[in-house]
Amino acid sequence: MAVGLTYATSHTLVRMRLAALRHALRDSNRVAWIGTGAFLGLVLAAGTVWAATKGDTDLVAVAIAVWMLGWVVGPLFAGGGDETLKPEYFTMLPLPPRALSGGLIAAALAGVAPLVSLVALLCLVVVGGQLSVGALLISVPAVLLQLLCFVLASRLAVAVYAVLLQVRSGAVLAALVNAFILAFTAQGWALIAAFISTDVQGTIARGARIAPSGWGLVAVEAAGRDDWLRVLLAVAGLVVLCAAMFVAWSALLVRRTTATRAGVRVRRQLTASDSRGAAAAKELRTWARDLLYGHRAVFAIAYGLFFCMMPLAVGWKGMLPWAGATAVVMGGAMFSNLYGADGTAFWSTLMTPRSAQLDVRARQRAFLLVFGPPALVITLLLTWWSQAGVWSLVLSILPALLGGATGLIVLASVYAAVPTTDAHKRSGNPLNAGENEGETIGLVYVMLVLVSLTAIPALGAALAWSWWGVPVGLASGVLAWWYFGRLAAGRLEQRGPELLTLLRHGRTTVEHADKASLSSKMALLPRWRRYLAGFCLGFGAIPLFPQAVVPAIFLLNEVDARAWFLALYVESRWQWPVIIGMALLGLGMYAYGGWTYWQASKLRPEAPPHLEPETQTP
Amino acid sequence: MEALELIGLGKTFGEEKAVDDLSLSVPQGSFFGMLGPNGAGKTTSLSMAVGLLRPDSGTAKIFGVDVWDEPVQAKALVGVLPDGLGMPERLTGREVLTYLGLLRGLPAAEVDARTTELLEVLELGHEDDKQVIGYSTGMRKKLGLAVALLHAPRLLVLDEPFEAVDPVSAATIRTILNRFIAGGGSVVMSSHVMALVEQLCDRVAVVSGGKVVAAGTVSEVQAGGSLEDAFVSLVGASTRGAEGLAWLSA
Repeated sequence: MAVGLTYATSHTLVRMRLAALRHALRDSNRVAWIGTGAFLGLVLAAGTVWAATKGDTDLVAVAIAVWMLGWVVGPLFAGGGDETLKPEYFTMLPLPPRALSGGLIAAALAGVAPLVSLVALLCLVVVGGQLSVGALLISVPAVLLQLLCFVLASRLAVAVYAVLLQVRSGAVLAALVNAFILAFTAQGWALIAAFISTDVQGTIARGARIAPSGWGLVAVEAAGRDDWLRVLLAVAGLVVLCAAMFVAWSALLVRRTTATRAGVRVRRQLTASDSRGAAAAKELRTWARDLLYGHRAVFAIAYGLFFCMMPLAVGWKGMLPWAGATAVVMGGAMFSNLYGADGTAFWSTLMTPRSAQLDVRARQRAFLLVFGPPALVITLLLTWWSQAGVWSLVLSILPALLGGATGLIVLASVYAAVPTTDAHKRSGNPLNAGENEGETIGLVYVMLVLVSLTAIPALGAALAWSWWGVPVGLASGVLAWWYFGRLAAGRLEQRGPELLTLLRHGRTTVEHADKASLSSKMALLPRWRRYLAGFCLGFGAIPLFPQAVVPAIFLLNEVDARAWFLALYVESRWQWPVIIGMALLGLGMYAYGGWTYWQASKLRPEAPPHLEPETQTP
Repeated sequence: MEALELIGLGKTFGEEKAVDDLSLSVPQGSFFGMLGPNGAGKTTSLSMAVGLLRPDSGTAKIFGVDVWDEPVQAKALVGVLPDGLGMPERLTGREVLTYLGLLRGLPAAEVDARTTELLEVLELGHEDDKQVIGYSTGMRKKLGLAVALLHAPRLLVLDEPFEAVDPVSAATIRTILNRFIAGGGSVVMSSHVMALVEQLCDRVAVVSGGKVVAAGTVSEVQAGGSLEDAFVSLVGASTRGAEGLAWLSA
């Protein structure tokens, strides 16, 4: 009975999920996001399977661990995971909780991301195939259980997080844990090297096999050695873990759909005596009262600290002075969608004459007040502690970054606003604020780069003329704060109604016309140029990141792994030229693609100035 | 001079024409009702009339001031209650009014006095430490009305002001609006509730398919019958529900 009901519910919910996906595929903008995500995912999945064909099972174990980490941390970092089907939709159905949660998990498996992960997990089949027939047979249930484990872990993490975010201490705790996990992903080698052994790679691989993400691989490998007890233990472990996560998630789901959400009690009423003060007071109260704001601020600062302090474990203090700067960069990335986060409440600013400038400046001041003092204190204390003698460098770039971040957050918030669901219409998942999680994550990464770039003038000046960097940093910070703020306010004045329409109705209705016209303009270019531009934008990342940035990091850190990094296979004196060449190739590909699109945007569909319209072949 | 004039407004979303060459004029001192079935284009027209949504064609004038050429002057003359939009969610009702009043450049003491009075009259005063995110739909409406009234505008544009509001508060709002009209103000409101429009408004316009299909004084549009009958015949719909659905009474 219960099984039949769960099956029927799953069947219906999967169909609903697929219907939603079909509709999403009709929207060109969402197709672009889904397509980009799926492409990047498939490249990574292909890399994982490729590692398996090379027989490097240690690398496979680590790769699967990274996939699982992505499932768990990704939704916490931005977006709250896919929630096409919100549990709130189904609360009035007479369904037992387990049948509903079972159906929701089945529906969660019917998506692009699980499919991409399934491709990645085929590495287990490859490993099994290389070992024995038994291992090959075991690999099939191992793949499926591992995938189920990914999806359940992801949902459970989001649900636990949602509970934490309902109280202030929980929001802080969640921020610290999240910051630690992410910093560890980047710097964990230092801890491992310090505490466990100097065999960093071996220890990571061993750890990756002990973690639940490695149990599928353990089962397959054991089957290859005919160690059937271990096979049984590993597979049973996965089954029990999945069942436990499912039960816990179901329980949290019931809580989510029945508990009321408590707001933070108001401690100090807003008092201000003029319009400037009122705008600032409103913004600061939002920071203080919205737990998600506080959570993100604590996360950014904690990330800066953890990221730069982890190498202390190997006795290296060299990164300490940069903790404040890292926190500011992360903060800028976390708060780059201020208008999107406020949603349609923007109408009240729009209807108030002459308030755009006040609003933008108030948002900048609030960011500066929240991040400025802690970043300065952290920088002063840790630079003093590190004895690194980089005072002029850090004190030059810190004001540049603070100014750059305060300028860029409002600029991005206005020019690249990502619509979210209005706060009073959101579901029980505080991390999920709409259907644009891809864009949200994209904006975070772009902002990490952009905010970092604002330090370049100060850095250059400090490297060349030492303390003269400080006035340069101050000047560039003030300039970025003032000029980007002015641009943002001007745009708000001019295009406020368009921003409100975007926040109200989402991307589809507003920019449909613009997007359609750009693609119709692209159609005016010769086909080879269109394809070449598409190819360059699609694959530019390959020479730039895996073939240039990653091997550069490996070389600098003397990591002894060559994998598929071309530069690490050539003679040592050619390694840097190859890396630089690859970086230039990647940047050149992006530049060509961007330039082609930019050129197309200048074309007029009725009279192309210098390019023949392409004759359409039926 | 008209309190509000819509001149050939047009708006297309994708393929769909939401508002199609819509013109209307609202004389000063009138209580103007905008009627129309769901999806007729009422909210879209009112948004374009006050500066919240840029029209594809046409424009709107508030007391002769073009909303799209001189938005700052026009917005000072109008109070708006939009339907279903957010508020600064993390502020309390009192703080929202304080914040928006100060942002409009009113003196602090004046803002304080008006806020206290508005909260009192609209029965929101006892929820002083509650953030807007915890408000019910009806409370949101009442707070929105307080925001619209705060700067004592000469024209009110209200989208569904009575939706989800309890009967006692509705009576209060009716009294406030009638006093506003008596003092020389003008009101434009959209509504689905015929009885309310019949009772409150002196002029109405019926919008259907993005066009005005009838406009004038209430008695002109009624043409002898009830407003409801006139509405149903104007929008060309037939009331259903008598046939089918046999399983409901089985």
